[in-house]
Amino acid sequence: MNAAGSSHGAGGLASLDDVLNQITSSSNPGSLHNYLRSFAPREVRDTILASTLSSGQDPLAVLDPQRNTLGFLYILSAKLHSASVQTPPLHVIEAFCSQFDPEQARLAPERVTLLAKGIVRASESSNNAKYALAPLYSLLTRYAPHLSYLTTLHAIFLRTCVATGHFTFALPILSVPITSVDTSISDLHYNDNLIYHYSGGVALGALKRWREAEEFLEICVSAPAQVPAAIQLEAYKKLALVQLIQYGETNPPPKYAHPALSRLFKNSPYGFFVKTYPAQTSTLRSFATKEQETFTQDRNMGLINQAIDRAPVWLIKKLTATYLTLGLGDIGKEVGIESEEEVRAIILSMIDAGEINASISADNTVTFGDVVPKFSKEDLDRVVVQAQEHNRVLQEVERAINASKEYLTKAMKHKDDGGWGLEEDMFPPSMGGGTPWAED
Amino acid sequence: MDVDIVEEEQTQSQRFSVNVAGKRPSKLPVDEAHPFDLEAYISSYSGRTYVDRLLHIMFLCPTLAPQALQLAVAEALKGRDTNQYKAIFMAYERAHAEASDEVPELSAIATPDQRWIEETNAKNLAERTKLEVELKTYSSNMIKESIRMAHRDLGDFFRAVGEHNSALKHYTKSREFCTTSQHVLDMCMSVIELLMEQRNYSHIATYVFKAESALDSASAVRGQTGPEAPAGSAQANKEKRNAEREKVQTKLDVATALSHLGQSNYEKAAQTFLKAGPVKGLEDWSGKLIAPGDIAIYATLCALATFTRPAIRTHILDNDNFSMYIEQEPYIRELLESYMNNRFKSVLEILERYSTRHYVDIHLYHHVVNLTNLIRSKALVLYFQPFSSIKLERMGQAFGWSVDELEQQVVSLIQSGEIKARVDRQNKILKAKETDQRAALFAKAIKSGQDMQAANRKLLLRMRLQQADLVVKPPKGQQQQQAFNYSSGNPSELLSGQY
Repeated sequence: MNAAGSSHGAGGLASLDDVLNQITSSSNPGSLHNYLRSFAPREVRDTILASTLSSGQDPLAVLDPQRNTLGFLYILSAKLHSASVQTPPLHVIEAFCSQFDPEQARLAPERVTLLAKGIVRASESSNNAKYALAPLYSLLTRYAPHLSYLTTLHAIFLRTCVATGHFTFALPILSVPITSVDTSISDLHYNDNLIYHYSGGVALGALKRWREAEEFLEICVSAPAQVPAAIQLEAYKKLALVQLIQYGETNPPPKYAHPALSRLFKNSPYGFFVKTYPAQTSTLRSFATKEQETFTQDRNMGLINQAIDRAPVWLIKKLTATYLTLGLGDIGKEVGIESEEEVRAIILSMIDAGEINASISADNTVTFGDVVPKFSKEDLDRVVVQAQEHNRVLQEVERAINASKEYLTKAMKHKDDGGWGLEEDMFPPSMGGGTPWAED
Repeated sequence: MDVDIVEEEQTQSQRFSVNVAGKRPSKLPVDEAHPFDLEAYISSYSGRTYVDRLLHIMFLCPTLAPQALQLAVAEALKGRDTNQYKAIFMAYERAHAEASDEVPELSAIATPDQRWIEETNAKNLAERTKLEVELKTYSSNMIKESIRMAHRDLGDFFRAVGEHNSALKHYTKSREFCTTSQHVLDMCMSVIELLMEQRNYSHIATYVFKAESALDSASAVRGQTGPEAPAGSAQANKEKRNAEREKVQTKLDVATALSHLGQSNYEKAAQTFLKAGPVKGLEDWSGKLIAPGDIAIYATLCALATFTRPAIRTHILDNDNFSMYIEQEPYIRELLESYMNNRFKSVLEILERYSTRHYVDIHLYHHVVNLTNLIRSKALVLYFQPFSSIKLERMGQAFGWSVDELEQQVVSLIQSGEIKARVDRQNKILKAKETDQRAALFAKAIKSGQDMQAANRKLLLRMRLQQADLVVKPPKGQQQQQAFNYSSGNPSELLSGQY
């Protein structure tokens, strides 16, 4: 190990000592970054970085994570990826992740990605899953200017969370929706977006937070695509099942989702399941056993079972729309459940959950009423405030685009072509959006 | 369900069985409750449709088969279609096979006249060769008009013999040689007649369209020859033109309406039937293809199934033109009166009584069940409109149904959203739904707000993704057929554990 470091001393290639000197002496992160990128050809660079100093010391022990973030980052990522070098101890990694300087790190986004991947690999090889989670979490939360910026770390972190089954760990991350994409901060690939939202949806589904899971899966499904990705189809399947659990029926995907997905979905056993839902439990179950292999292979069996369990609830809800009173026996017949006790239990739980407004009388007849939603002034105020905030954000985006270079060049080009028509288009959207929310 | 109709005693009981299942009865009863006079019915027709309808009747009402056979044979001998003649006997055989106790042996009634068959076949063949030779001669002479006429004659011939495809082929070929729009119009009319005989509803519309445009240009041309005539008769000329146009227009309207009916667009069919002009506009079609009574029946049934009550009043009852048609079939008037006066029970009774008559009609056969269901649903909705709650029993009495049957009907209507009410099964009451509008409005507004915000957020993200060019693309060098782009590793494998 020693030799590897010093053998490249002469002949134009820097040694690790030189690198270290540069790192500690440089005051300008930008120039340091350039140096680190270029001090050696790519193949040998990481090897050099991964080696030890000529004195036998580990360079990481010399450097300070906060002040020398950039250098630390390079060396650490190199070490984690090198096959020959022993992985740095956990506390070193954790120290770095909780203390690094985000601004410096952002100069080298691809190294950050490399670092994250390295951490995951190291944890997998040492068979200690939790190993990766804590450092990744710190890395993720501190790296981007705000959590709403999508980074490669999101995808890696979520994937690890789901793979290890620690779903709640990801909750703080998931609660901040992604709204910004800045490729200068992170070297993003479309898969990062897909994987993040897919894993997010899966995690939320596992935690039974259906509404949020639905949103994440829908974002994955409707991500812009010239050609649909396999993961989008998987997301669609899960999305449909989550919607069944939540609403009793599926909503069509947004118009901008790729049409091939809907087509493929309809022809799959999932499409058939969605069509027959809700139906009597026995029908659904027999169908599920028939297609068990497909469902288990896609790891959707759990969702399917939950959907089947919810089926009686939706059937009963449909009944409340048509009947005013109904006997327990009749309900059981409609829903396909034999025992009246079971029906009674289901109805009681539905009443408790506020899904229906009913009362069971002594002779086992259920009287349904209408569910009247009540609104307090606070609720309304809150909603209005939210809407106003949202509106403000939209206007900012509008203004930003109006001032952007691309738009202005395009507008100038077409100024002589369309003339009036174009200008009229520019004004109404900003004016019309302002008023409706505030009036209420 | 369908066998019940025969066994039930209609005259005594107040109850009907409701044939909602959508199955057409395989055999129709002809008895006091379902009066049907074969002679009277069939006398309004002639020619090919005469025989077709009789075949249909033989298929549906075995009891009438012998009578139908006689009439059909008589009519078929007048024509030249030997296949149709043979078909009559086959149909009779089948009817006999299915209900041999009611239908006497074929040989007991009549035997196919083999000699006539051979004679006619020979004659047909001779005529056909002659016509084809003519066509060849004219084609080589390249005289457009004669070629057109030759094709037309061949088309007519094949139609008479019963080979519809060849007939259609020749008619369409004659189109190429048509010089004036009058020719085109004639050609279109022949094709339309052919299609109506064949009951090929989808193509009728195209030819009607062609005929109408030909008609327009024909009347325009005639208008241009007007100035040559003396000035005083210019007005008379215009009227004559309009009259001619009307005649053809009536036929076209009837044809269009029939095609709508065939394709189950009941509303459009009703509208077009009602638009059709006076009876004499049908001219030679009356009887050869369709009877005026038929028009009355089709129009009324479709209107009852789809129009609102005021619309029915204005279009049918106040329509003088149409009352001429209604005269042909007086029970239609009765039907309409009961409907307008809310006597739904009698409406349903009349429909039931004349169901045989309706099923027997070749154009209406497929639609009777649908139309009856529609009329029934509409009647139910209309009946319930003024009530906020009503006992199912009372409602059942008004319609002549048992409470259970009525409940079934009502539930299906509620589920389809036509009636906004709920059924109280314990007390057998139908209660209209009262919604708290204010609360509903708030709920809707809040939900819309949330949905919009979510949608906006997603759209913004999508926009940013596209700006950053994070779009799923097929990997370079991959063929276009492969629709899938697999991300690194099967995603399901990445995420272990079931949940």
